[in-house]
Amino acid sequence: MTTTDHKKIGIMYVVSTLTFFVAAAVLATLIRAQLAVPENSFLSAHAYNQIFTLHGTAMIFLVIAPFGIGLANYLVPLQIGAPDVAFPRLNATGLWLFVLGGITVFAGLAAYGGGAATGWTAYAPLDEFFEGTGAGQDLFFIGLLLTSVSTILTSLNLLVTVFLFRAPGMTMWRIPIFTWEIVATAVLVLMAFPSLAAAFAMALIERHMGGHFFDPAFGGNPVLYQHLFWFFGHPEVYVMILPYFGIVTEIVATFSRKPVFGYVGMVIAAFAIAGLSLGVWAHHMFTTGAVSNPFFSAVSFLIAVPTGVKFVNWIGTMWKGSIVLTVPMLFAVGFLLNFLIGGITGVMIASPPIDYHAHDSYFIVQHFHYTIGGGSMFALFGALYFWFPKMFGVRLGERIGRWVFALLFVGFNATFIPMGFMGMEGMARRVYTYPAIGHLPLLNAIATFGAGLMTIGTIAFFVDVLVSIRRRAPVEDNPWGGYSLEWMTSSPPPEFNFHALPPIRGRRPALE
Amino acid sequence: MKTFVGLFAIDAAFGFAIAVTYWFVAHEEAAGTALLAIMGAALALATAYAVLAERDAHLEGDDPNETNEQAAGEVLGVFTSASPWPILIALCTLALLTGMLWSPLLGAAGLIGMILCFWRLGAESARTGT
Repeated sequence: MTTTDHKKIGIMYVVSTLTFFVAAAVLATLIRAQLAVPENSFLSAHAYNQIFTLHGTAMIFLVIAPFGIGLANYLVPLQIGAPDVAFPRLNATGLWLFVLGGITVFAGLAAYGGGAATGWTAYAPLDEFFEGTGAGQDLFFIGLLLTSVSTILTSLNLLVTVFLFRAPGMTMWRIPIFTWEIVATAVLVLMAFPSLAAAFAMALIERHMGGHFFDPAFGGNPVLYQHLFWFFGHPEVYVMILPYFGIVTEIVATFSRKPVFGYVGMVIAAFAIAGLSLGVWAHHMFTTGAVSNPFFSAVSFLIAVPTGVKFVNWIGTMWKGSIVLTVPMLFAVGFLLNFLIGGITGVMIASPPIDYHAHDSYFIVQHFHYTIGGGSMFALFGALYFWFPKMFGVRLGERIGRWVFALLFVGFNATFIPMGFMGMEGMARRVYTYPAIGHLPLLNAIATFGAGLMTIGTIAFFVDVLVSIRRRAPVEDNPWGGYSLEWMTSSPPPEFNFHALPPIRGRRPALE
Repeated sequence: MKTFVGLFAIDAAFGFAIAVTYWFVAHEEAAGTALLAIMGAALALATAYAVLAERDAHLEGDDPNETNEQAAGEVLGVFTSASPWPILIALCTLALLTGMLWSPLLGAAGLIGMILCFWRLGAESARTGT
């Protein structure tokens, strides 16, 4: 618990995020159980509100974003040939702030009146009335303040590490794409997260110390909270996707047996996405009527361009490559297919007329689950299968891994394709039940069936982990034929990473 | 370091450009302009620091032809591998925040604990040279 070794901290991040993932997945299963049939009374409205709030909060703040940061903790020093991160104690502080923050958020469930029930956005004045009056809501704000400070500290640390701790010959234009994506993510975090910390601090001051930032009766403005929240909130979407773009790039290049196609274009696209993502926050606020819809719509459309560049580069990397369909590669291909659907539906709702129609409906639920769930989560599983041998010196099972992929891929699409149709039929998000009209009962039943498949797939993954660790089949240092520096050290790596650094004369030191 | 300077300079220019564009498009909506301008200013600050730091910097990682032998010195470096203070700082931060809302005593304990932790952490850093 007192370690400052970046690898152990990275592994603790991964284990913590997977623990929170299990909790969030259980909550998702409860949501789907409640919505399996119309007019269901399995959960009360208040319980449902707490469950979907905690599910979204956990997945965003405690699973997907910190997994990327945690994996970066493990990989970035290895990929650039550094013995550790620039500030090891700060790194450990970030980990423990994150863990305590997550526990604090979940502890809200035990508070009088229950946990936060305002959705992960905790809009003002919802956090002061209706569902948000209890101590659970305060613990939500405190927990997320801790995690946001943790993310800021870790990002700063990673940024300094990449700029100052590269091995001799490891110029910026030789570092792997995953590390580049982490640099872009870290800059994004430093720009966006202070806004979230400010919003939550202001909300706490309003709740406990007589502040009136968001209260119109005293000259405040509730839309200000939305501005501060979404100035963080949309870049956060890219904090949750850029590291995963990096993961997919590494996997695709390794298993296509080719260098990354358009390396420079990949880097420029990452920074273009990061930059543009800071100018699109109010597309979440089109329907408030209080923002410039043409401006935010235009910038939102623009993001599709660098994202498209990345897709071209991934396909270009695979083109005429000797593709090996291992489990990590299957997850990478699954990512490409799912994220494409998320991206295309994103372009649709970047148009205000469509957004007015789809706002707060299940169409939106489908859209963001395809980007974050079908995108990031698939890359997350791909990363676990890809780097597990490096982290633990043990390779996960290939056969059961294929079953995990199949169950998750079929289950995911069975769950979320129907949600687009539910949205088009007018089903509102965040409601705990619905009437038996139109195709809603059938669509919801299919979605719940798909969620069941995903649950089985997730259980199969953890069975795979346990069986592989128990079996402890020996694994070589570079089992996949990887090209970056982490594959040139032992599995798992020694303290301070390398017994001897290899010469670095290009972008693929392990193959040169 | 030159890449670092260039990266932040381009980001800062982008921040200011989008702030000005936004002001022309929606000047009645001050929050957005302020947020974008602050973003540009923060990036400009980082760029200015990088320009100053870059003047004296010699990083082995910036030279594409640098070898490990050339970069090696007499001392390879000292690195910390364990410290109890980070976890205690995190616990004190939690105590400080929760105490501010519900218990001034707990808040004060958290604050004092944080100060003590930082003090001991500084002593540990000086003692081990890390």
